[in-house]
Amino acid sequence: MSKLTTLADAVTSVPSGAHLALSGFAITRCTMAFAREVIRQGIKGLTISQCVGAMDADLLVGAGCVDRIIYGGGSLDRYGRLACVNRGIEDGSLRAEEYSSLSVTFRYLAGALGIPFMPIRSLRGSDLARQLEERSGSDVAMITDPFSGETWLALKPLKPDVAVVQVQLADEEGNAQIMGPRWDNPEQVRASKRTIVIAEQIVRDEVIRSQAELTVIPGLLVSHVVEVPYGAHPTSVYGLYDHDAEEVERYVEGTRTPESLRTYLDETVYGPKDHWGYLASIGGMERMAKLRADPSLGY
Amino acid sequence: MDLDYSMSELMAVAGARELKDREVVAVGLGLPVVASFLAKQTHAPNMTILFELGVIDPEPIHPGVGLADPRVWYRAKVLSSFTDILGTLLHNGRVDVGFLGGLETDQFGNLNTSLIGDPRGKFRHMIGSGGANDIASSARRTIIIIRHEERKLRQTISFVTSPGYLSGGTSRQDAGLPGGPSRVITDKAIFGFHPETKQMMLLTIHPGITLEDVLGNMGFAPLIPAKVPFTEPPEAGQLKLIRETIDPNRMYMG
Repeated sequence: MSKLTTLADAVTSVPSGAHLALSGFAITRCTMAFAREVIRQGIKGLTISQCVGAMDADLLVGAGCVDRIIYGGGSLDRYGRLACVNRGIEDGSLRAEEYSSLSVTFRYLAGALGIPFMPIRSLRGSDLARQLEERSGSDVAMITDPFSGETWLALKPLKPDVAVVQVQLADEEGNAQIMGPRWDNPEQVRASKRTIVIAEQIVRDEVIRSQAELTVIPGLLVSHVVEVPYGAHPTSVYGLYDHDAEEVERYVEGTRTPESLRTYLDETVYGPKDHWGYLASIGGMERMAKLRADPSLGY
Repeated sequence: MDLDYSMSELMAVAGARELKDREVVAVGLGLPVVASFLAKQTHAPNMTILFELGVIDPEPIHPGVGLADPRVWYRAKVLSSFTDILGTLLHNGRVDVGFLGGLETDQFGNLNTSLIGDPRGKFRHMIGSGGANDIASSARRTIIIIRHEERKLRQTISFVTSPGYLSGGTSRQDAGLPGGPSRVITDKAIFGFHPETKQMMLLTIHPGITLEDVLGNMGFAPLIPAKVPFTEPPEAGQLKLIRETIDPNRMYMG
């Protein structure tokens, strides 16, 4: 069954207040085109989760779409910190539940497996655990191993409403293939009630079947499939295109203060009508062609 | 004293010397990358290098801007996931060494990468844990690489993101955590930890640095044994590898 639709339509399916798991990791495979459309449609009150906070989450926080973030810390790699997330944490406007990367991944894994909790060694003895106990109360707890009698920290399963995953290839049913490392994406998809697949390219299912070992997302978990070339721009997609250093720097400059952020959002999100308008506004095919990856390198 | 190497190079070499052949090493970006590749290309060819997001034994030929840069995944033997690397390898006790950096550390090797200031009052939020807390909790031992400044080596740190020996003694063990930091490598000295009290203990001072330089630039007093030798300087071959092969563009070495 084809689930192919437009980006605008897929975004409209997300209600305000929903919990979204986003596929980005720092500055790679971020759901940027999706995030820009969420902002245009004025969807608010979101909860965002990610095992490493990335540019997609930061942009949504900066645009005022997010009330709560559940994440394992994050940055834009060498380009800097997540300025919007950090500002929200510092001024108290963003409710942040801060974990380690593995503990967020294990919360997804518990959700994916349908088990009631997941024990973990991480967090113990740290101020992360103390802060989580104070802030969320019920999502971490100490338990006794019924077999050994040892004490463990238990994590509550994380079950997002929607996983939004930027991938290289998918068919119309949503069977999606991810090349390169997949960080927490497999667990995010399986823990979520449904998944929106944003693919660089939609291919015939023959292509998926011919290399089925690359399929990370089974179509049966997917509600919407959208083809969005350069949908992660200005972040990278392994094997297809590099991150756009100038545009990442522009993002860093643009998110430096609330004032500069208004200008940045006007220019890159509200100004362009849609993703094609966005790409045209920053230089179109001529710019994108320069970012294309060498297949022998992957970048 | 004129040196024919930089303190960053000395720190990378000191880090490499801590790694043994056949060990499994979890690495973040920066100096630890240089230290790990240097070890692998010299005395530890059978070492395994892990990046948390799902990368095993890459052989980058271009410097990357971070772990999210496909440049540092190049020629990996495995491209997988967090569950694979930090779950089945690290959490399951298969990682020998983790390299960690941070904003601040204290005399027990607890690390802060979260915030500067008062977490209950005014503060600046920085990066957070990423995989650092997981590595600090589950690796058999960790090596901390940090600049030697009073604001970084502190009596009390603002936030414990990644556990060292917590409040010393058996407190780490009591919290159910194995391992712990084995070395702290700064640009002035190398420290270990007292086997019982778990306090930071001066081991060697880098050539050209005095004991006063070391103690005058830290916020707590480390244990000082009767004999504190100089750190062994880098060898010519190690410097050549760093400068010509591992980091020719001085991306990591500053």
